Amino acid sequence: MRSLPFTADVFLSLFETYNRAIWPAQVVAYVLGIAVLLLALRPMAATGRIVPAVLSAYWLWNGVVYHLMYFLQINFAALGFGALFVLQGVLFAGHALRGRHGTRFRADIFGWSGLSLALLALAVYPLLGWLAGHSWPRAAMFGVAPCPTVIFTFGMLLMAEGRAPLLLAVIPFVWSLIGGSAVFLLGIPEDLSLLLAGVVGFGLLVWKSRR
Amino acid sequence: MKQITRRTFVRSLGAVATMPVSSMSDAATGPILTRAIPSSGEQIPAIGLGTWITFNVGNDERLRADRTRVMQTFFDHGGRLIDSSPMYGSSEAMIGYGLARTKNRDALFSATKVWTMFKPLGVSQMENSRGLWGVERFDLLQIHNLLDWSTHIKTLKAMKAERRVRYIGITTSQGWRHGDMETIMRSEPIDFVQFTYNVVDREVEERLLPLAAERGLAVIINRPFQEGVLIARMMGHPLPQWADEIDCKTWAQFLLKFIISHPAVTCAIPATRRVDHMKENMAALQGRLPDAKMRARMARHVQNV
Repeated sequence: MRSLPFTADVFLSLFETYNRAIWPAQVVAYVLGIAVLLLALRPMAATGRIVPAVLSAYWLWNGVVYHLMYFLQINFAALGFGALFVLQGVLFAGHALRGRHGTRFRADIFGWSGLSLALLALAVYPLLGWLAGHSWPRAAMFGVAPCPTVIFTFGMLLMAEGRAPLLLAVIPFVWSLIGGSAVFLLGIPEDLSLLLAGVVGFGLLVWKSRR
Repeated sequence: MKQITRRTFVRSLGAVATMPVSSMSDAATGPILTRAIPSSGEQIPAIGLGTWITFNVGNDERLRADRTRVMQTFFDHGGRLIDSSPMYGSSEAMIGYGLARTKNRDALFSATKVWTMFKPLGVSQMENSRGLWGVERFDLLQIHNLLDWSTHIKTLKAMKAERRVRYIGITTSQGWRHGDMETIMRSEPIDFVQFTYNVVDREVEERLLPLAAERGLAVIINRPFQEGVLIARMMGHPLPQWADEIDCKTWAQFLLKFIISHPAVTCAIPATRRVDHMKENMAALQGRLPDAKMRARMARHVQNV
């Protein structure tokens, strides 16, 4: 049984419409992403607030604009997805307000994995999409589309200081399974990286939380 | 509700054309197979247009234009019944877009569904669907997958009494909730039922199809090609020579004629995004239909492929 109410062609067409409508938000998202990654590499006093605030903005944008304003046009389930993304955005916003957990790259398995996932989201995911024939504007762009945003989120969570914030990883993990199903249901091969990021990222976060 | 026996039901079926199948590239010129809606006697063509997946195209203008051409081809070949649902994403908006741009759309027999919980949400959803289609009223409103059916059936009965809808019905697919469906078919004054039936999925031959005939219910058949799986499976094989005996030139005709030749079936609703496939589907409305012996042969053949 096919479980999606749309085809890959329609899905990619939606990205085309969405990307053209929100331009140049993609550029802003990229700049913020690179800035956040640099902050993790060279932390400053406000890093504990800035990183979750940027992640909150990504998740809220994806929930409201991508899911509720666009994806909902072709998929009724986007209503629930939008709610999940907004909830995650609120969780990150609360984290930013408290500002208790910094983000800092450390040269251990969690730091290297986090850095790898962040670079995967920023650079490798779009390259994989391009190789699969999903180039601009029919591509899921960093920060404004769920899949690369979720991969990046795992990267930043792995670089969080102190105990791993597992609560913040639940919705990203759930989405990695939902979004990753596009590999099989829609033939979007680049989303295999989302599945891997979800499984590896969540697994490492569980391990980190128990250390 | 008007009660009819299977015999009178079969007698009420529309004429079956005996002329050769018309050219695939032309609009239908000969008589097409129609079936009577038992509760009214109104005739509708035995092939309709489903919109699950295929009409969910968002706001893409290129895809919208493609689907509008599919709709025009449907109407040009005598088609009437278009079936959709709020569950199908942008399909209802696409239908409204297409209807505003097609000729012969006055022939439309509009069928959609209510798919939500609670009366206020159902009423609001049906009104929203009416706006998306751009129709004054729907010909048929159905309760999708029996979701909150005990609530919506009251609304639909009231709407029918007020002439805000012509027919009401219930749907399911892929064999789900047949027991509940049977209960409703026996107890509620509905006009239509919709469920899955094709040359492979034949469970409904046992109870639901005979019950529909006994109760005088029109039957819409969804998933006639198992969402394309069945036709893809058959495409690698040549049509048997004896398919000529029922005027079949394509697998689509073969599979659809199997369905619409069942005496209790009113209309099958294959979905397509291609004009050439639309023509193939509509060609099933012409030529000879299989009798019981031929239908058994068709089923055996598909089973053995």
